[in-house]
Formats: sequence, C-alpha cells, structure tokens
Amino acid sequence: MRSFQELILRLSEFWAGQGCVLQQAYDLEVGAGTMHPDTFLRVLGPEPWRVAYVQPSRRPADARYGDNPFRLGKHYQFQVVLKPNPKDIQELYVKSLEALGLDLTKHDLRFEEDNWEAPTLGAWGVGWQVMLDGMEITQFTYFQQAGGLELSPISAEITYGLDRITMFLSQARSIYDVDWVPGGVSYHQVRHQDEAEMSKYYFEIADVEFLTRQFDGYEGEAQRCLEEDLVLPAYECALRCSHSFNVLDARGAVSVTERVALIKRVRNLAVGCAKAYVASRERLGYPLLPEEERPAPGAAPTAGGEA
Amino acid sequence: MSAASEFLLEVRSEEIPARMLEPAVQAVASRLFEDLTTRGVGPLEVETGYTPRRLVLILRGMPDREPDREEQVLGPPSRVAFDADGNPTKALLGFAARSGIPVEDVQRVDTAKGEYVGAVLHTKGRSTAEVLQEIAPRILAQVHWAKSMKWGIGEGPWVRPVHGLLALYDGRTLPMELFDVVAGNTTVGHPVLSPEPFEVTSAADYREKLEARHVEIRAVERRQRLAEGMRSAAEEAGGRWVEDDDLLHKLAAICAVPGVLEGRFDAAFLELPREILIASLKDHQSAFTVEAPDGALLPLFLTVMDRPDDPEGRVRSGNEWVVAARLEDARFFYQEDRKHTLEDRLRKLETRTFHVRLGSYLDKAERLAALAGTLCRQLGREDLSDPAGRAARLLKADLSTEMVGEFASLQGVMGGVYGAEQGEDESVWQAIYDQYLPASVDDPLPRGEVGAVVAVADRLDTLAGIFGVGLIPTGSKDPFGLRRSAQGVVRILLERGLSLDLKAAVGAARELYGEQLDTTSEELWNSLRPFFLDRIKHLLGSRGFAYDEIDAALAAGASDLPDLEARTRAVHEIRGEASFLSVVLSAKRIANIIKGQEASPLDPSLLEEGAEGALYSAAQDLAAVVREAVERGDYLAALEEVAQLAPVLDRFFEDVMVMAEDETLRRNRIALLQSIHGILTPIAHLTELVVDKAEHR
Repeated sequence: MRSFQELILRLSEFWAGQGCVLQQAYDLEVGAGTMHPDTFLRVLGPEPWRVAYVQPSRRPADARYGDNPFRLGKHYQFQVVLKPNPKDIQELYVKSLEALGLDLTKHDLRFEEDNWEAPTLGAWGVGWQVMLDGMEITQFTYFQQAGGLELSPISAEITYGLDRITMFLSQARSIYDVDWVPGGVSYHQVRHQDEAEMSKYYFEIADVEFLTRQFDGYEGEAQRCLEEDLVLPAYECALRCSHSFNVLDARGAVSVTERVALIKRVRNLAVGCAKAYVASRERLGYPLLPEEERPAPGAAPTAGGEA
Repeated sequence: MSAASEFLLEVRSEEIPARMLEPAVQAVASRLFEDLTTRGVGPLEVETGYTPRRLVLILRGMPDREPDREEQVLGPPSRVAFDADGNPTKALLGFAARSGIPVEDVQRVDTAKGEYVGAVLHTKGRSTAEVLQEIAPRILAQVHWAKSMKWGIGEGPWVRPVHGLLALYDGRTLPMELFDVVAGNTTVGHPVLSPEPFEVTSAADYREKLEARHVEIRAVERRQRLAEGMRSAAEEAGGRWVEDDDLLHKLAAICAVPGVLEGRFDAAFLELPREILIASLKDHQSAFTVEAPDGALLPLFLTVMDRPDDPEGRVRSGNEWVVAARLEDARFFYQEDRKHTLEDRLRKLETRTFHVRLGSYLDKAERLAALAGTLCRQLGREDLSDPAGRAARLLKADLSTEMVGEFASLQGVMGGVYGAEQGEDESVWQAIYDQYLPASVDDPLPRGEVGAVVAVADRLDTLAGIFGVGLIPTGSKDPFGLRRSAQGVVRILLERGLSLDLKAAVGAARELYGEQLDTTSEELWNSLRPFFLDRIKHLLGSRGFAYDEIDAALAAGASDLPDLEARTRAVHEIRGEASFLSVVLSAKRIANIIKGQEASPLDPSLLEEGAEGALYSAAQDLAAVVREAVERGDYLAALEEVAQLAPVLDRFFEDVMVMAEDETLRRNRIALLQSIHGILTPIAHLTELVVDKAEHR
C-alpha cells in the first residue's frame, strides 16, 4: 500500500463490507469529517446508521503555502461512523488496518487516551489517538454528546488521516512526494497549486469585511431556515459560518475575545440544528429504525433529553 | 482460616487511559479489602496489577465464611405488644413476622425507655465466595473514573467498554456479571501478539501463562525493566539516559510488555536548542533523550514499544520517521520565530487578551515593566531596576511564537532562548526563561535576583487583577492558578530572603490597573491577605514550625516574609524554656486584664515600691534592650531578654492587686501592663502560644 488512492479504495471496500453506506464528501467547506451532516446529525436520535466517506477537511490556519512537508490547509479524512457501536468495533478497526496490508505482528499498535471536544458543535466524546510505530494514524471516538444533546445509542467514529498514513506507509519525507496514483500522478501534482493559492488567499487576500458580512448573513439565514423547520439548509448555513470564522481566524482578524463570541454563535446554530433535526426525524417516524421499533403514528413525542 | 484461599479477579476492557490505571486498581483493591474486612473475611494479602487492557486483583488468605452473627432487635413496647389478657397483639405478631422468628421466641427487654419486646436474631455467615460474588462486581462498576463514557445502546458508564471478566475462587469460576459480561475462567494474552483465549486455574498459573503470552501485569516490574533497558541502551551508545520519572511511569502504563525502543535522528537537528529537542521528543513522542558525557544531547531517543522485540526493525524505522517529521516541524517553527525580535513581538500582544476585563498582554507587559521598577525600589534594589524592567516588558513576548503555540510547556523558556540569541543581558533572558518557576513545591526558584523580582511582579499583577475583578478562587475551582501564583510569591520572597512589604507591593500592583478595577487597594489587600496567609502558614508549617508559633509571629505582622520567618524561628527555639513559658502565661493574663481598657498614660510617681516598682524598672531596661535586639534582627536574643522578665512578672501578680479600689491607682497599673504588653508584641503575640499550664507552672 503505497499510494493515496489505493488507501481510499481499500478502506472504502473494507467498510462497505461492514454494511456502511459509502457516502461522498460533503460539498461544502468543513473543518473535519465530523461536520458532514451524515455524522453530526445522524449520530443524534435513536436511528441506527453506518457510513463511510472521504472528507477533504479545511484548516486554513494550518496552511503553509505548499512549503511545509507535513502541514496542509486541506487534508483528507476517511470517516467511519457506526451507530450503535458494535461490541467488536475495535477489532473491526484493527482488521481495517490489516486490510491495508499491515502485518500488525511486526508493528507496535497502541491506543492512547485522547478525548475529543468540538466547542463549535456542542459535542464531545471519549476515545484514543491510535499510534502505529509512534505515528498517530487515527482518531477513535465514542460520541457522548452532540449539539448539546446526550446521545443514545452511542456512535463510534473512526477518522483516518489519509495524508499522514500514506506518507507514513511510503516513508516519504514530504506529503508532496507521495504517489496519488501508484507509480503515477503525485500528491504534488494534484494538490500543490491548491495549497499555495489557498494559503495566499487565507493569509493575505481574504477580505475581512466580506467574511464578517458573510458570517453575519449566513447566521441570519440559518435562523430563518430554523424558523421554517428546514434543518439541512439551516445546517449548511451554520457550516458556512464556521468556515468564514476559520478563514477570519487564519487571517489574524479575530481577537481572543471575539473568538469566544464567534464560537458561541456557531455553537448556538449547531445546537439549534441538532434539536430541530431530532424533532424532524421524530415527525418522520424514524425511517431508519426497523419497522417494529418505529413509534406508532401519533404516539406521544419523546424528544432527546437536553444535556 | 484457610491459608490457601485465593481470589483472582481480572476485568478486561478497551485501553484505559494510562493516568487512570493505577488510581483505579488501588481504589478497587482498598474498597474490596475494607468491605471484606468489615464482614470478617478480610484477606491477608492483596496484590494488584494492570495493563492498558486489564485491571487485576489477587486476594489471598480470606477465612472461608463470614462469622455467624447474633443481633438484638427491639420491637414495640410491651404494653403495645400484649393486650389486657397478656395475649400477643397484631403489633407483636407483625414484629415477629418481620424478624422471621416464631412469636414464642420473643422476649421482654428492659430499656431506659421502659419494657419492650425484643429478640435475638441469629444470622448464619455466608461463604466468602458468596460475599465476593455480591460485592466484587458492584465495587468494579462503581469505581470512580476521572472521565467515564457510555457505549453501545447505553451500557456503562465505565471508563471504556468492558469485554471480559475472569473470576476464580480457589481455582473455580465464581459466577458474576459486569455490564452483561459474564465471568469465566479464561483470559487472553497480548492484544496483537497472542489474542487467543486460554484457561486459567490459579493466580500463579495466570501469571505464568500471561508471561508466556507477552503480558507482564506488574507495573513496577515493567518500570524496572524499562529503566534497566534504557540505561543500558544509553550506555551502549556512549551516553547517559536522561531520567524522567513521570515519563517512565507513563510509558510503563501504556504497555503490556516493556520493550525498549531505541531510535536515532539526524545529527543536524542538534543545532536546535536543547529545550526544543527535549520538548519535541518528550511532549510529542513520549521519548527520553540521551546525553553525552559532556552534557550535550546525542542524536538518540528512547521510548517504549508494546512488544518484546523488533526483529524487522519496522517499529524503529516508523518511530524514526515520525521523530524526523516532528523535528523538521520544530525546525520550521524555530526558523520562523527567529525572523522577529521579542521587541517586535510586543505589538502582537495587543490582540492577545490577558483577561476580558483586564485588557491585553500588551497592557500587562506595560504594567509589569512599571511594577518591576517599583518592587526594586521597595526592596531598596534600584540597581536591578533596568534589567528587571526590561525583562518584565519582554516577559510575555514569546506567547506569539510558533514554538509556544506548539509546545505550551515552553512558555517563558522560549522567550529566554530567543532573548539570549538576540543579545539580551544574561540577567534579562534568564529572568524571562525562569518566569514560571517555581511551578510546584519542589521546583527550583528563578536563578537570579532579577528573575525573582520579575517572577513576583508577574504573579502579583495577576493576583491583583483577577482578585480585583472579583474572581476569587473557591473550593477546587482555581482556573487562573492563583493559589500556585501566591505560593510562588511566598516561596520566592522567603527563600530568597526578599524583605518586600507585601501590602505595599499589592497596592502598587493595584494602582497600575487604575480605573479598570473598582476595588480599592485596601479592599484588595483585605481579600488577598488571608489568601497569602494560608500559603505562608502552610509553607512555614512544612519547615517544622508549629502552628501556634506561626500564628504568634503572624499576629505581630505578616508583610515582610523573611522577617516573619526569623521571628517564627526565634519563638520556635525559645519556647521550650521554662522562664519563657512563664512569661507567656503572664502575657495571656495581661492581655485578659487590659482587654477592652482604654489606653491610659503611665505616671511613674504613682507606682509603689516593691513588685510594682521592680516591674516598671525591669520593663524600662527591657524595652531598650528588646528594641536594640529587634533592630539587629536578633529576635532570639530579644526573646531571651523577655524571658528574663519571668520572676519579676510572677512577683508582680503575686503581690499587686491590679484591680485596686482606687481608680487612679487601677488606671495606672493597667497603663503599666499596657506598656509591658507593648514590649512583648513586636516579635510575636505570645498570647497565641498554646501552653499546658499543669506542666509549666
């Protein structure tokens, strides 16, 4: 396993084999695979769910003009969510590594405590960073709360850092040296211009006033959508606010005080969307539940408890 | 007692955080021990063990059964238990039924409240196995975790999902359940190298089979083997292993088998400051460094691998790759950081909030520069003003460096390193470097005098500001680490012998906030004083002074800490002397007499010959001698003089009636005692000392 795309193929195949919906990346800028509605919203409520997808994840502040061998303004996560987490989730994960061609009896695999918290999503979970021969290759999290709501059943989220893993497996000195296609097109050829230009945009060009207006505008739009019970449109607006915030932050335009206030505004939207989503699924009669577990039409509503 | 009895309990779960393992297994062990002991089936021996995926308890030497118990229970009063004809009432029948005894066995019992009915209940002791079956799963389920979770469809809460339970009592499976996991007589070996289940017959068998399957359950043993392995690996490389106990504990907790992994990095990275190399290796990779005999670092790192060996060298090459990437990253940050001077960086502090209500770090830098100067003046050390002011101004400049962004533990240190590179004076860069010292009780102090002044200024500024906006720490809540700040101030002043007037210094810190605080200097001092006092008492207490000695010295003034310590020491050294204790008792008597009395002028002409005159003239001499000794700072000599007063005071109280009928006389005698009181108080309030009268009179 030496190339970026083989990694994607093997992981997709493995997790599709575990009954996951093979989803595609969300078509808006997000900071992590967790923000894809197929994770953030689907982990809420009683419906079972299994999904896997690649999510290009933008961290404007980590952009380095394509000069740094390890840091990227956009990296790729392979995201898996299993809800409820099966008892053997950890074994499944280990098998997925074997599916990448790793003979673990020759390596050192460890699970080190690393709890996850996303203040902008009102979400936290408990888990590990998975270390392979000293390299962090995966974030493994049991979600406990999302959008300020206590979760039940619990979802396990597995996030593979595709760029780092490929680099590690091919022992490359720089991410840009990695093969995207085996023996063919490189990561550099696919991504370098993107990193260079986006870095310049994030750090030098992005218009602070425009971004601020955009943040304000999408915040208002999200609230309007929520008033209309349009959860997914509202959530998209919240994602746009979140991305505007990230760019403003990278641009150095957010003071520490403003930072707290902006995070809180995004969080309020996320919490609003989470609540609205739970209610909307209930109205729909939880279509993903097995038929016999769905509430009878007109049964008393039982909204998720607020944390 | 069956000496052979043995209980083996193992819980297997997904990886438990390293920091929680030891406390958890100890908590379970002591709860089990206590609960069994209370029931009369305490074990003679308790052994614990753990790996990331299992907690292990081995109990030996429990009695086979609980002792049988007899218990007297009381029912209703006899008058309610029997009707007029002496027949049992419903109340009595009900009591007998509840107690599970035939009504004939109920007896009459005399109590202080009259005659009642009662019965003696005999409870047969249960077998120890039964007791364990009941309490072990409950104790396991209830163990407290710093952070716990739920899983699946709502199982838990526990620290991580539970997967297996091994419970053997004298070799036989003891049925029990924990979160739907049923206990058995099997376990598994190393998670990757030997995951197949196998049967266990005893604790010895368990340990032996686990060892063969790459699992060592004793953390102490893992620690020793790691330490030995690291020491010899370093020696073989011609260097010395740089020990770090916390890191060693952590590494021993994150493995089932303590394999030592040795790796190398490109010697070109050695051009990076050693602090960066250590932080990068330790914080990011949990790796130890190795020093050459001359103290320079070698391009070598040591860490743990959870396997006995690395035959194909994959673990090593993987770790080396990661370390190279980390160091490459660190080098990038270092080079970026060096493009700006600390002076340049001050501007960036403007957007960095110190506290919402207290402004930015730039504001703090300006306050600190002024405060450092004031403190130097207050200490009479104007010679330190320039370097202290400079260091104080640049103190927080490194907050905007990439390096500190990456390694919070390097705050201050990086400012020092960059300051030295940029040609700052040694006293200045060292003061920046050492600003967070002492962070704990055992930490060293800042190296130089400038460092001490600046470290105190920084802490006083924070304490004044945060207290000033009313955010006083309560209970375990101390988000700004104010206790540690106050502790640092107290330690630095005491151990450096800096006679700083704390009240005046706090006042100066307060003034620099100007209108930002609504609190006056006086109010601020009133809320900070007890906060400092707690730290002062604690620190002096830890130096072997008794609490009443500290209280006595404190009552005479707490502002100048080295002086306080000297006074406490003098009291400590003299308190065993009989004459001194006699004076202490007199001092208490004097304090009682003059309590609530207005100050009166003393008219020596009214004093009588004899005891009264003797006390007056002794006091006159004493006042001068004490004053002189106090000025010299020789408090012990002063208190020795005070002790000389014992016979004169004793005679006074024997011969003289203070509360004389004649008011003029009475007032004059009180005035005499007030003047004595005044002489006794500047070193320590002797009345605070606890004296056992029977022994010393």
